[in-house]
Amino acid sequence: MAEHTDTAESAKNRTAYWLIAPGALWMTLFLAVPILMIVYVSFWTQTTFKIEPILTLASWKQFFASETYIGSLFTTIRLWLIVLAATFLLGYPTALFVGLFVKSKTISTVLLVICVIPFWTSFLIRVLAWRPMLGKEGAINIILQKLGLISSPIEALLFSEISVVIGMTQIYVVFMVGPIAFMLSRIDRNIIEAARDLGASFWRIFFKIILPLSLPGVIVGAIFVSVMVLGEFATAAALSGRKVNLLGNIIVTQVGSLKWALASVVGVILTVIMGLVIAGFLRVVDLKKEL
Amino acid sequence: MAETISNISLAGIVKRYGDVTALDGVSLVLDKNEYVSLLGPSGSGKTSLLRVIAGFERPDAGTVTVFGRDVTNLAPHKRGIGFVFQNFALFPHLSVYQNVAFGLVNADTPPPADEVRRRVTEMIRLVGLTGLEGRDIGQISGGQRQRVALARTLVTEPRLILLDEPLGALDANLRMRMRDELRNIRERLGVTFLHVTGSETEALAMGDRVVVLDRGAIAQFATPDTIMNSPANPNVARFLNRYNVLLGELRGDAFVTAYGDLAYGKRIESSDGAYGIRYDRIAVVGETAPSAGVEVPVTFVASEYLGSAVMYFFEAADGHILEVEHHLGKGRMPEYRSREKYKLQWKPEDAIVFG
Repeated sequence: MAEHTDTAESAKNRTAYWLIAPGALWMTLFLAVPILMIVYVSFWTQTTFKIEPILTLASWKQFFASETYIGSLFTTIRLWLIVLAATFLLGYPTALFVGLFVKSKTISTVLLVICVIPFWTSFLIRVLAWRPMLGKEGAINIILQKLGLISSPIEALLFSEISVVIGMTQIYVVFMVGPIAFMLSRIDRNIIEAARDLGASFWRIFFKIILPLSLPGVIVGAIFVSVMVLGEFATAAALSGRKVNLLGNIIVTQVGSLKWALASVVGVILTVIMGLVIAGFLRVVDLKKEL
Repeated sequence: MAETISNISLAGIVKRYGDVTALDGVSLVLDKNEYVSLLGPSGSGKTSLLRVIAGFERPDAGTVTVFGRDVTNLAPHKRGIGFVFQNFALFPHLSVYQNVAFGLVNADTPPPADEVRRRVTEMIRLVGLTGLEGRDIGQISGGQRQRVALARTLVTEPRLILLDEPLGALDANLRMRMRDELRNIRERLGVTFLHVTGSETEALAMGDRVVVLDRGAIAQFATPDTIMNSPANPNVARFLNRYNVLLGELRGDAFVTAYGDLAYGKRIESSDGAYGIRYDRIAVVGETAPSAGVEVPVTFVASEYLGSAVMYFFEAADGHILEVEHHLGKGRMPEYRSREKYKLQWKPEDAIVFG
């Protein structure tokens, strides 16, 4: 009898292993192995025309000795923080409206779908569309001039850090709105009425009830945005006029000139930063408990 | 002047949702320090009435007055009225202590910290939760959550507490215990409770007085005993779930029905004609038994065993089902054969007639 249940139990376990096997295999082959490979390659010896598996710290030294590379590390972190703050400041009120203030589930779903509509066009078009908007003779400058608010066009709008921030915020804000709106929509309306009945003002209810209960959504949204912004290169390339160099742009350039070792160094640094960022966010909130 | 009036009064409350009139001129005076149950079938406007009193919704007409002060246009928390939600609506991210303290700490002018601590600790003790202050809401049982919800409202010292089906979310055993618990807590604090329920047994057991709400209007407001023995109209009798309500017409001394003229003891003025006889005042006899009192020939359909009593269901000639309750304390459970003919008998003085 005992033996019988044992076999049934182990058969169940075997089935479970088969379920996880394809995913595990995929992740091993295409995630774990490549990451280890990148770490390994970052220590290879790079000469102008070839790369050899002879271990050296040369590429690492080259990265940390260069003002350009260190500069782009700080630019990446600065832009990430700015875009993260912008997506939060823009996304939270939107999510609050969609997830909490709209009472009908249908309308709130429709509104969320509308947020996703920009994604029906390709990434490149979404980014490039900002050029005729922000340019010296772009829509925004023309409107401001027609309104008489400015006498000469604002040149800083395009091919600057501002245009990169604007572009990235527009593209990634929806990843902030979604998770927050989801958490907000799960808040029991009675809880808010109870808080109101107990005498808490709107702002107190917001800071003591609504914000804490939606925090897991904020964290998930922040992780999405962070991972995507930290690895960004296309928006900076298209909207900064090569003035803003992110770590992602350096990888692109280095790979383009077949400098695999230095590209790997930057890749490892980016991966470590992302790991730290995600770990940091996960410490703020116990997602296991909340979801 | 205002403080000399120590009651809560509703006058001519009307609430409409589009074309639907949920409350149609409700007037009611609740005394200080009493337990009032509000009984009504679903859709009778119970929840609407509660939400209007609490201030979550504004009435289309009428006034709410608390201890002489018109609060109709005041925000919920300025009314001196507490609300206990059916699902308790506790703050899931706060501990038991923080939940109870919420209303004090977050008031427009919070009391000093040591007073908050004293009042919260005292309230937690009063509802019997001492020792659980640090627990998360997810770590306590349904009955304990109910107490937290109650304590959270009571600690702000309202004059009236509205309880929206407060026992609905609890299992049957706990519900019985919480009934006593609620009554005891209320008595100790001397605050008025308005307890909304769809259960007639709960309403009659808990209320010092019972309000019966029917289609947005008050059908009766009286002590449980009066409601039980003299329901104001046939609908009230139906909600009580203790009366067979037979339809027919009152003609002089008899009530004319499909089964003949039925004699009655008490007449209650009502626009609807009906004849009421309690489930537990009916005797079942064989088809050939001698006649006595009021009699209706019936066919036995089914029975239901309730533990302390048995309910028997009989079908009258017109298909109307009559229920008879037999208390097992009165003797062993009689057996009837399905589809067999019997006679139901009762004394005229036990029957009431509406008309």
